[in-house]
Amino acid sequence: MNADEMLARLSRPLSPWRRVAAAVAAIGGGTGAAAIGVLWITEPQLPARTQVAFAGLVAIGLAWAGYGIWALTRRTPLFARDRVVAGWLAVGATTLLAVFTAAVAVARQRGWALPAVALALLLLAAVNLVRARAVRSELLRRKHELGG
Amino acid sequence: MTDELLVIRCRLGERDALARLVRQWHEPVLVYVRRMLGPAHAEDVAQEVWLAVLRGLPRLRQPERFTPWLYTIARRVVVNRLREEYARPEVPGEAAERAVPDHGDLVADRDEVARRLGGLPAREREVLILFHLEDLPLEACAEICGVPVGTVKSRLSRARRMVRAAIEAEGEGR
Repeated sequence: MNADEMLARLSRPLSPWRRVAAAVAAIGGGTGAAAIGVLWITEPQLPARTQVAFAGLVAIGLAWAGYGIWALTRRTPLFARDRVVAGWLAVGATTLLAVFTAAVAVARQRGWALPAVALALLLLAAVNLVRARAVRSELLRRKHELGG
Repeated sequence: MTDELLVIRCRLGERDALARLVRQWHEPVLVYVRRMLGPAHAEDVAQEVWLAVLRGLPRLRQPERFTPWLYTIARRVVVNRLREEYARPEVPGEAAERAVPDHGDLVADRDEVARRLGGLPAREREVLILFHLEDLPLEACAEICGVPVGTVKSRLSRARRMVRAAIEAEGEGR
């Protein structure tokens, strides 16, 4: 087996699109499940069938999130550039979630704790993005120092 | 391009750097795995090593220490495959001072050493591969194997005696 054949075997973890796709699955799945959960929690007296449907949608979102997290931890690592992209995605998703939960709380006059939780998640995503950018900047600085 | 620069470019996620890293180190990894395990599953194990390397690269804090880090991962994967062999208690080591490494006589013949590897226990085999065939310094061998330098010296000495004994036995048999 030569190096090119090995590279072909490693095509999945080496593909930046696959790495970002795994991050999208993790973030999108988690955010989707949270948004459906917010609707479910704040809707009074839902019929049983609707509750089952909500539960199914939450399970699907969590399954995608689980798959994304599994892929990122076991198969497709995020490198510095990917982490910045994933950081922006997380900030975008948690911003949408915060706006959505605030709108739902205002419209239904209940569930006021949910926008606070979403804001906390947004804060975490922002801190994560700042760290990812700092790590990437440090690596870029070192790369230039070494003449790269 | 130095290893450090290449690793930094890999940590940034540059695809061409990742491909270059694999191209540069594919052969040494495959040879190490093949020498430790034999040819049967070497390619699959080498792939396993590379997956672990790619998983670990974003967390590699000292890019200049890439070589021992790579072999540490390769060794970990190999040890998983040779769990039974590594579980056997090690033969008591001789004093490290008696085991000063030399590059002379039989170990000068790398092909001869490579040919005899299969008959050695795993611990002796790995130090012989790392020190004599991969040309790593004693300190790096010790780091990779997770043992003190003195232990590496003892294992090297024992490995050389085993190889020498095998050569002599073959000579007498002719």
